[in-house]
Amino acid sequence: MSELLNLQRSMMQWLLTEKGDIETKVVGTKKVSSEIRLGIYANAYRYRLIDALSDNYPSVHTLLGDEDFYNDGIKYIAAYPSQHFSIRYFGSQLESFLSQQHQETVVLAEMARFEWVLRNSFDAADKASLGLKALQEIAPESWAELGFTLHPSVARLDLKWNVPQLWAAIENETGQIPFEQAEYPIPWLVWRKKLKTYYRSLDVDEAWALDAVIKGHHFSEICAGVCEWIDEAYAPERVAGFISQWLEDDLIVELVI
Amino acid sequence: MKLAPLGFGLGLRKEHYQAILDTSPAVDWFEVLSENYLVPGGKPLYFLDAINERYPMVMHGVSLSIGNSDPLNFDYLQQLKTLSERINAHWISDHLCWSGLDGVNTHDLLPLPYTDEAVMHVATRIKQVQEFLERPLLIENVSSYISYTQSTMTEWEFLSAVAEEADCLLLLDINNIYVSSVNHEFDPLEYLKAVPKERIQQHHLAGHSDYGDYIIDTHDHDIVDSVWNLYAESVKHFGPVSAMIERDDNIPDLAVLLQEYEQMKQVSASVLGDASSVNTEEAENV
Repeated sequence: MSELLNLQRSMMQWLLTEKGDIETKVVGTKKVSSEIRLGIYANAYRYRLIDALSDNYPSVHTLLGDEDFYNDGIKYIAAYPSQHFSIRYFGSQLESFLSQQHQETVVLAEMARFEWVLRNSFDAADKASLGLKALQEIAPESWAELGFTLHPSVARLDLKWNVPQLWAAIENETGQIPFEQAEYPIPWLVWRKKLKTYYRSLDVDEAWALDAVIKGHHFSEICAGVCEWIDEAYAPERVAGFISQWLEDDLIVELVI
Repeated sequence: MKLAPLGFGLGLRKEHYQAILDTSPAVDWFEVLSENYLVPGGKPLYFLDAINERYPMVMHGVSLSIGNSDPLNFDYLQQLKTLSERINAHWISDHLCWSGLDGVNTHDLLPLPYTDEAVMHVATRIKQVQEFLERPLLIENVSSYISYTQSTMTEWEFLSAVAEEADCLLLLDINNIYVSSVNHEFDPLEYLKAVPKERIQQHHLAGHSDYGDYIIDTHDHDIVDSVWNLYAESVKHFGPVSAMIERDDNIPDLAVLLQEYEQMKQVSASVLGDASSVNTEEAENV
């Protein structure tokens, strides 16, 4: 092993576990011991990553409080050391971590999922939106086979807890609200219109229709699917209404004929 | 070998996006943090493009990890190259450091041992990166808080040897020299005078946190007098060099930062006289 690699192995071991032989490979000054000098790096490593987690998960941080967020952050760093060149993606496994760490408080993992989806929507790829006019150019005979491509920022998630309401209360500093669990998971939609990220809850048939679009289903298949909730005669009108709303909200970037 | 100087710049930070577009401040150029814009789209790239329409830009990264023992990350390099083409970056810079091993990234700028082995390792990789990016790569001295028993030369000898071996330009961070001079008890002027003058393409100026027995390079305070004085010495020694202010935390309003920007210009002008204004005109012709 080269001397450089050997040194780097020792330093990595120190940063990740605070163990090893690195102390034999560094020197102190009269004023500052090698232990203090190494401590600067060990602290910087942890605080930098915990700051990155807090930037991406401000509401998880608020729900946990400073002390628990720090303690969980330390455990997360040990369990999921960063493997991406950008610190932006360091928190990608936090939902999974919190679901293991706090099995009794599911709302924490759900908040992590919601905040990560918001984060990804914020800097998802840009695509020009179509606008409502695009629908008018579709010939009536083409509607049955009509497919849709959604904007890269669009994300669907189902949440058992009142996570978006908690998030808004924290974000807008309107005061603490209690955790509430719904009888059934509530479908939510997250997307970006121009530069702003939005979220809203969905009726169960709209959620099903949107999921069907994501799976690549055509207009006629979506109409057939929503008949589980509404009369067949009203299905095309109902789905056309969804599509109009999605076009207005810049969710659709392409009509596929 | 050196590129035409750009004049005086600021680090582009999201807190100032709208103020820059609203007021078009008299700043010669902006340095962008590369990783902030290696994202698919949205607000960061929107503002980058809008500001790039008005100002020349250079790129400054923290993820190259030129001293790592892992192979170079060509996915990262390809993204850097694409971004540099998007904004027509005058140059790209990163640090003389290493950041991780075996695929784990510490996201820190860890110092290298000052050895012949490290010089050859880093220089070989700088050549590969410059060839791939097809754009000049500036290497920056980092602040450091430890010294390795392995080192066989001073930091300035190491930096100079790397630059000569790799045939690359340097970004000399004046604050980092000051921080390390306190932490390692050396004379910062000796450092300034020892590095190859013909390779100094850019300066960084920044604030730091002073803990008495040691200093940490935090970029969250105003620039202190000792760093201004060292900057004046560097202008005296190197002449007109593109210089900018890095502020990464505790970020003040743009108007406040612009006062520091004016101070940077004044320090340079007080040493160079009229030469500093010539510097700016040259930048506009680039």
